[in-house]
Formats: sequence, structure tokens, C-alpha cells
Amino acid sequence: MSGGGVFPTILASTVHDIKNSLGTLLGLIQQLTLSQSADQVDNIRQLEFEANRINHSLMQLLVMYRIDSQKFSLVIDEYPALDLINEAVSQQDGLLQLNRTVVKVECGEDLMCYCDYQQVANALGNIVNNAQRYARNALCISVEKLDGYLKFCIEDDGVGYPEHLLNANLSDPSDLDWVNGNTGLGLYFVAAIAGLHKNRDKSGFVRIDNHSRLGGARFCLFLP
Amino acid sequence: MKPILAGKSILIVEDYPAMRKAIRDMLYILEADTIVEADNGVNAINAMTKTSFDIVLCDYNLGNGKNGQQVLEEARYRKLIGQHCIFIIVAAEQTASMVLGAMDSKPDEYLTKPFNAQQLFARIERNLRRKQFLQGIEKEIERGNLFQAIQDCEQLLAANDQKMRTHLLKKRAELATLVGDFETGRQVYQQILQERDLPWARLGLGIIEYQQGNFDTAIAIFEALLQDNPLFLEGYDWLSKTYETQDKLQDMQQVLNQAVDLSPQSILRQKKLAETADKNGNLAIAEKAYKAAVTLGKHSVHKSCGDFTNLAKLYAKTNDSEHALKVLKEMRHEYLNNPEAELRATTLEVELHKKAGNEQLADDCLKKMLTLSQQLGNEVPKDLQLDIARSCFLQNQPERAEEILNGLIKTHIDDDGFLNDIRRMQSGIGLENHSEALIQSTKRELVAINNKGVTLYKQGRYGEAMALFEKAMSVMPDNKTIIINMLKITLHDLKNADHDQQKLLRAQKLFKKARQVGIDKQKLGILQMEFSNLLRKNKLEAKA
Repeated sequence: MSGGGVFPTILASTVHDIKNSLGTLLGLIQQLTLSQSADQVDNIRQLEFEANRINHSLMQLLVMYRIDSQKFSLVIDEYPALDLINEAVSQQDGLLQLNRTVVKVECGEDLMCYCDYQQVANALGNIVNNAQRYARNALCISVEKLDGYLKFCIEDDGVGYPEHLLNANLSDPSDLDWVNGNTGLGLYFVAAIAGLHKNRDKSGFVRIDNHSRLGGARFCLFLP
Repeated sequence: MKPILAGKSILIVEDYPAMRKAIRDMLYILEADTIVEADNGVNAINAMTKTSFDIVLCDYNLGNGKNGQQVLEEARYRKLIGQHCIFIIVAAEQTASMVLGAMDSKPDEYLTKPFNAQQLFARIERNLRRKQFLQGIEKEIERGNLFQAIQDCEQLLAANDQKMRTHLLKKRAELATLVGDFETGRQVYQQILQERDLPWARLGLGIIEYQQGNFDTAIAIFEALLQDNPLFLEGYDWLSKTYETQDKLQDMQQVLNQAVDLSPQSILRQKKLAETADKNGNLAIAEKAYKAAVTLGKHSVHKSCGDFTNLAKLYAKTNDSEHALKVLKEMRHEYLNNPEAELRATTLEVELHKKAGNEQLADDCLKKMLTLSQQLGNEVPKDLQLDIARSCFLQNQPERAEEILNGLIKTHIDDDGFLNDIRRMQSGIGLENHSEALIQSTKRELVAINNKGVTLYKQGRYGEAMALFEKAMSVMPDNKTIIINMLKITLHDLKNADHDQQKLLRAQKLFKKARQVGIDKQKLGILQMEFSNLLRKNKLEAKA
């Protein structure tokens, strides 16, 4: 095996190991949440948040590596859009409670979405995670049909996206500020996942602006 | 969260104790009351033989032994889990090779670690909903009552539930294809495709072309489909099947090779590739694929001693007796006291000893082979019978060989693929065209019996037609054409005879036999539809 051949194996088995640990860790944290007194709960939720963050970063790392080496493909099927949102919110549940963020969901029961469930739910989870960090106390997640796309919107009541992100091309990594924190790496990841979703001549994409109905940032994911 | 798990039996398969406990605790949060745990694949299978589970949460990576996919494969193959069971594969990540590994054994869900109770709840709930919704249709399909299944499908479609619409349309199109109503099938698939370019709908259109015998059109559809969806493995399976039907073995090999590259874990594809490459004389590819099949077989329900002997035969072909004998030794170790494995090994040893110049040993093996094959009797698979005949020819026992070949030809006269295997075997030992006369005369005989039977049937002389086919069946017990004709007559007979219990039972027995000998699903579907119509009518009349 050449040097290049060993790395993917090491990466995969390391990720597998860490994921097992994370799974156990999160299980224990959930148990603690149930049994601890109120004054401990915030600490525990913080624990949960950090574990979730590690997981998200790990997933992104792995997916980006796969996309880069062209070993990635989506697993597409049809799912209720509401399930995707619920999954994304469930992933961040502890955190949302920690920050006492109110999440409002506007999505018809019957809206169906063709997508890779895991990837899109993770991507949305990522944005929810981000949004609640900057939100003061409210988030709104909505879904609607628009021009042959399903449009997911995540709006918050924070201060909005900074200028450099609004002007960046999200699907161009060189356009993002990788070094100085607040990199938009999550956005780049979501844009990459969106772009892989295709139907006939349409591809998925993301758009961000500060026109949130709640007064802060607005993130939109379009899936064909 | 609604208490959806109360009263449901759940199996957790996970080798890592802490993770097992984490999942169990989550399930308790969701109010599960019946949880069984297994720490490896074998224990999981054992648990499933004892309990019919409603939900199985199975980790993909189970350390040494079976992986999660192999557990599912075996459970489906041995029918250890029912239609209602939700099988979820839990994995650290959902890799392409893992997802692609599955063929007929797709899990209901892939769930990636880590997950929390809410996520688990959502997955289980979604699948419960879907299963419950389609339960009625699945039950009718299982019973063979396709008419009712289609009715139920239509009825649910009319209710216009957006969440279930695509599932139902897919089912509807599959059912239409199964009963030979190709026009409806085509319409439904095209309707779906107008909205969205879905690979399975395009595949469905290709399958319909295949069933109608339009092989070139089918190939064009499958090729275009794979061009756009290079990871869609069912496309490769159908494309290679179409090439096989057309006896284009080189093309078939190439397609299988691509599929195996994408999904090296699939033992059935490896076997198919090995056999095809072997027939094509591409021994290097065949060797690699047989070896893969042997290795994958270790933990698979599709493990077979035939894979070992096929590999050994390959070495025998290249006069590499040393390797051949080594493989046979490994096989005997893997299959202690297994009469079929012993017979396979001994049959090949006849040739290996002969090649080495050990006449005495070769003769001893021949004797042992004949005794073993007599002991096994009807249980000797057809490919092994062919090998036995070959060894008889090699050791100058042509009468024995002829006897076996005559039986094989009579029984498998409508299996062109196997007839080609017989021809290939004979050419391999310098007996080109040896059985051609017998093959042709048997074919003519079958056609004659068939024509006569059909004529009798058309004249309304059902009893005589039936007697004729029954007599033919005693000589050609697994002949598909004859079984289909008998089914047709029985069904026609049933139309005239009201509530004849005896005839109903005969029809059911013939359907079972038809499935056993592997009559094409679609051919059988049409007859089954007719049968369910009859049963329905009978029931209505009985009520009136």
C-alpha cells in the first residue's frame, strides 16, 4: 500500500473509534441530564454541545475529504421536509435549551423533499447550531416550494452576517477567511452538499442575507 | 413523544458494551419494554430464530465475524424477520461501499452515530408509519393475491396522501410489471419521471422492455441510466442480466467487473463475475473473484463449497495441482463431514490424480465418488452432476457419464444457459458436439408433447392433456414449460368447476413447484393474478 493509500484507512478507523466514544459520551450526558439537579443542567448541556460540535466537525472533515478524492456520493430518497427539520433541531436540542432559544417551525406536513437525508439533516443542523449562537432568543425555520426548488430558510434575531461573509462566494473556498475564526467553513460545507443535489438541469445552492423577518441573519438552502 | 415502542420487541446488535448500554437507555426513554441484546452477528441470528422482532438496531461494524449487512442478508434469506420488522443499520458513517454492498438486502434505515433519543424516535416513527401504510398490500403480495394487492394500491392512491404517494406509485408500477400489465407500468413510471429524474423509475422502464423481449432497447435504457448514475448498482445487475440473456458473455463480464469494483463486498456479484470470467477463459479475473467469494463466504449465508471447488478447478485447468489440492484441503477443513463438499473434492481429485499420472489413486477416487453420489441421490446439484459426468468420461466410464448427462438434458432442456454448460464441459474434454443429437431430439420431443397437449386443451380434452403432461413430468420433473402448461390447464379447469377443493390444492402445489424451479416472476405473476381472480370470484359466489 502506498502512503496515500494508508491515510484514508487510518482516517476512517479513527473516525469510527471517535464516533463510538462520542456515542457513549452523549448517551451518558443524556442520562445525567435526567438525573442531575437544576443547577448542574447548564454545565451538562454545555458538555453535550461540545460533543456535538466535535461530531459535526468530524463529519465535515470526512465528507470534505471524500468529496475531494471523489469518493463521495449522495444516497437520495424522498422524505418529509418536516422530518429533516426535526432531525436538525433534535441534534441541537440540548443547546437550544441551554440558550433558551425559541424555535418556530413553519412547514407543511405534506411537503416532500428528495435528498440525502443524513447529509441534509446534518447541514441544516450545522446552520441551526450556528444561528442559535448568534441569535438573541428566537429562530424561525421555514420550508416552501419555489420555482421547482424546495427552499429551507433559517432566520434569527441576532446581529446578522458580517459584511465579508455576505460578499463571499460560498462555494469558493479561497473566498473564505480560513485563518481568522468565523470562517464560514460550515457554510462552505452546506453549499457543497447542496450543489451535489441535482434534478435535470437544476442544482441545489445556498444564499445568505440579513433580511430575516426576526431582524437578524437569514440562511436559505435551495434543493431541486 | 408518543409511546410508539410499548409492546414492541426490539433487538440491539452491538459489540461495544458501552454503546449497547447507551442505546438501551435511549430505548427506555422511549418507553420500550422488550429489549434483547446481542454482541455479535451469530448471536443476533440466534436471537432472531427465537423471537420475531419488530425492530432490529444493528451496528454495521461488529468486529470479527459477520458485519451488520451480513446479519441482515442472512435474516432476510432465512426469513427470520417478517415484513413488519424495521431493520436499522447503525454505523459511524454512511460510506458508499457500505450502502452499495447491499443487493436484495437493503435495510429500512441507516442511522449514523452518534444519535440521540429524539433522532431515534423520528426514524422509528417514520418507518412504522410507512410499514403500517403498506402492510395490507404486502400481505396480499405474500399470499399471491396480486389482484387484491393492485386494488388496495389503487384505493390508497385515490386517498392522495402526499407522504406516501411515491412509495405507492412505485409499488403500483412494480405490481403492473409483475402481472404483465406493461402499459400501466410504463405509464406510471413515465408519470413519475415527468416530475423528477429518479433512477428506479428509469430502471423500471428498462425492466419492462426486458420483459417484453426488447433487449436492445433495455440495454440502451440501462446504459444511459448508468451514465447518469454510475453508483446505481441495480442498473449493473439488470444490464448484465440482459447481456446474459443474449449470451453476450464478454459484455456481461465487463459490466459485472464494474459493479464489483464499486461494491467488492457483495458475494453474489463476485460469484457471478467469477463464473462468467471462467466461461470466457479470463482466468486471472476468475481467480480473483472466486478467491473473494471464498473469503466473503466465511461469514455469509451465501457461503458455498462450490466456490472452493470452482477455484480449485481453475488451478486444475492451468495444471497447478499444488494450488488445487491446497484449496481442497482448506475446503475440507471449512466443511467437516459435509457429504456434498466431500463429493465435490473427490470428483475433482479424480482429474488431479490422473493428470499426475497416479492411475490407481484416480480410480480409487472415482469409486469413492460414485458411492458418495449414490448416497446423496437427488440432492446432488446440477453443476456437480456435470462434474461427476466429466470425471466418469476422463476415467473411461462413458456409460455412467451418459446416464447422468441424459438425465440432466431431459430435466433441464429449457435451460439454455445450462445446456451451454454441458456443451462447454464436453468441448473441454475433446467431446465436441457429443450430446447435440440428444439435446435436439429432446427439444423436439418437448415441442411435440407441448403441441399435442395444447391441441388437446383447445379441443376441451383437459383430462387427456393433463395426463399427457403428467406423464412428461415424470421424465422431465423440473421442466418449466410443462409446469406452466399444467398450471394453465388447472386454472382453466377451475374456471369451469366450482369450488373444487382438490383442483384448488393442485393449483397451489403447482405454483409452489413453479417457484421452486425458478420460473420467471413475471410469467408466474400473470397466472397468479388469474388465480387470485378465480379465488375472489369463488368467494363471492360462495357468499351469494
